[in-house]
Amino acid sequence: MQQSDVVIEKRNTIRTVSSIFKSKRNLGNYLFLAPGLLFLMFFMIFPIFYNLLLGFQNVTLMNLRGEHEFIGLSNYINIFLDPVFKISFVNSIIFTAMCIFFQFAIGFAFALLFNMNFPGKNFLRSLLLLAWMLPMIITSTLFRWMMSGDYGVFNYFLLVLGIIDEPILWLTETSTSLLGTIIANIWIGVPFNMIILLGGLQSLPDHLYEAAKIDGASRFQQFRHITLPLMRPTILILLMLGVIYTFKVFDLIYIMTGGGPVNSSYVLPFYAFNLAFVKFDFSMGAAVATLMFVFLCIVSAIYLWFLRKEEQIH
Amino acid sequence: MYRRIGFGFLALLLVLLTACAPSTDTSSSSSSNSSSSSNSQSNPDSKSSNGDVITISWWDANTTAQEPLLKLIEDFEAANPNIKINRTYISFADLKNKLFMGAAGDQLPDIVWIDNPDFQAFAAAGILADITDKIKDWEYTEDYFEGPWSSTVYDGKNYGVPNYSNNLALFYNVDMLNEAGIEPPTNWEELKEAAKTLTKPGVYGVSASGVKTENSTFQFLPFMWQAGSDIPNFDSQGTIEAITLWKELVDNGYMSKEILTMDQQNVALQFLAGKAAMMVNGTWQIPGLTKDAKFNWDIVQLPEHKQGATNLGGFNWGITATSEHQDIAWEIIKFAEEPERKKEFLKAAGYLPARKDMIQDPFWQEDKHLKIFADNMEVARARAYGPNYPKISEAIQDVIQQVITGTKSPDEAVKEADAKIKPLLP
Repeated sequence: MQQSDVVIEKRNTIRTVSSIFKSKRNLGNYLFLAPGLLFLMFFMIFPIFYNLLLGFQNVTLMNLRGEHEFIGLSNYINIFLDPVFKISFVNSIIFTAMCIFFQFAIGFAFALLFNMNFPGKNFLRSLLLLAWMLPMIITSTLFRWMMSGDYGVFNYFLLVLGIIDEPILWLTETSTSLLGTIIANIWIGVPFNMIILLGGLQSLPDHLYEAAKIDGASRFQQFRHITLPLMRPTILILLMLGVIYTFKVFDLIYIMTGGGPVNSSYVLPFYAFNLAFVKFDFSMGAAVATLMFVFLCIVSAIYLWFLRKEEQIH
Repeated sequence: MYRRIGFGFLALLLVLLTACAPSTDTSSSSSSNSSSSSNSQSNPDSKSSNGDVITISWWDANTTAQEPLLKLIEDFEAANPNIKINRTYISFADLKNKLFMGAAGDQLPDIVWIDNPDFQAFAAAGILADITDKIKDWEYTEDYFEGPWSSTVYDGKNYGVPNYSNNLALFYNVDMLNEAGIEPPTNWEELKEAAKTLTKPGVYGVSASGVKTENSTFQFLPFMWQAGSDIPNFDSQGTIEAITLWKELVDNGYMSKEILTMDQQNVALQFLAGKAAMMVNGTWQIPGLTKDAKFNWDIVQLPEHKQGATNLGGFNWGITATSEHQDIAWEIIKFAEEPERKKEFLKAAGYLPARKDMIQDPFWQEDKHLKIFADNMEVARARAYGPNYPKISEAIQDVIQQVITGTKSPDEAVKEADAKIKPLLP
């Protein structure tokens, strides 16, 4: 937008025009924005504010058709008092942190691998992307079967390799259910991390590495002092997208464990869904959604702060 | 140049905006209002402008009986040329949410089929119309089974009519039982014995659903009822016996601990794969098993303890409170419930009648599988526990999961759930 303004300003100064005419021109410019703005208003901003409002009301199935009362912070207080909220919040943090860490680390390793030249590279790379392309419902169902305690292939290999003596009931033990969903989600997220990082790696200029080689830098030094600093913007955006995407996990949990056993794999989106659409406490669900929104806003703010620092350096 | 484009956008926007604006004047609806079904429903204008043809909108989540359903609608339309039924299929998973949205936006259909455990909640929410006066003079009110009928009543008023039913029974693998030389169990002791005998490497004696959804409550409640307990007196010996039975079956390895993530369909798949010798499941599994099972199977009633009991599933007819044509909707329901027509529909659809007079028909009495479910109707109870039932159900799901994982003792879990359930009862 800034650029087009500049162009228009220039033209305006060349031609001698009245101020009224100029403002009409600006109106024309704003009209370009209008479709996008309207879309945003209807489909993003209005729902967000409606959700916010809903969180301060007492809407349940019982008064869905009647009057809605404004009840201040009661929903939020009830949520903070609910032990399941604490479990969900902690689980969400653990889930997101573990997934992002391993997805990123494994994704980066793969990206470095595929940045090299070797035969069959393209084939393998597209094969790896399968994980990302499969619909979540299929992946989740497959993982549920693979992690089945009775007939699962996970247990089969672990038993054959002698790593465990007893089959692990991955998804039906309170201690392992969250871990099971984390493993599945890491597998799903690795290709996305790889492809973004690979895109970043391929845009790095070769001559820097050549210069570094001439200066006698080791592979690790090249990675530490050339690759990492130059990849910073890519890494930042990837981590932010990853956090948002992972924090919102719902279908995976819904299919693999249903939040169970005994709430051990509850995460916030699932908690919100359960409140709103299983227990019909629409306002409570909206309040949880608002809390998640605030949390993700903070994450985005941190990203923007990092980005500004980045821009100041350059 | 850019100015012209700007005006172009303006023009485009105007077109878009006017097209989106709700057409409030009657003249627009006369110009063949064939937009989407969601716009035309409960539109009071449709009567006056379309030459006295009244459109009744109808929602259901029926997947298995499309043809009989469409035939029913055609028959009604043929008999009543001035009434048109606009039927919309909505998937089972979406139906509740669609109804919420419809209620919030005043876009409800005239007639809707609702799953019986949710029915009272929708009645209490004011979404369903009170049809007590209409039902009073109806000749068939006495013909329905107590269970399904109770799910249509809330606060002493009638909000609907049972449509069709299903219930739970014990399916068993005949080959496995023959091999072990045992008879299907009729009580809890025999169930435990049979489960023990039938369990061998790779095969569990029995299976049921323990997943954290309504599925597990649906399957667990019959065991509570058999032990003489019920939701209003949840903290009682019967509940503890029932959950202890499930726990023992799991702890001894006769039932897989995986039931905690298995819904009823997964249970059926386990049975179908020959990995479970017996299972608790419902009427609707018969067609699938008939088609796919590679072994002989049969059905018996659920084992008794202090008494026999099973859980009732199925759908009810409802008329919405906002409907402009409640009388016509009631006429449609009466038309559909006429005994001969209803029997034809149920047979074609493969459903179980919710009526005592119909269940005597040879179709249900002479089929050895359907007979069990037909007999079950005498002891089948509905989940008619008021509008807070979904929350009550969650408390029960928690008990199942806490006890089976060993997180809590049966005593402790049942006491805690009871404290949650008490204030939720009507």
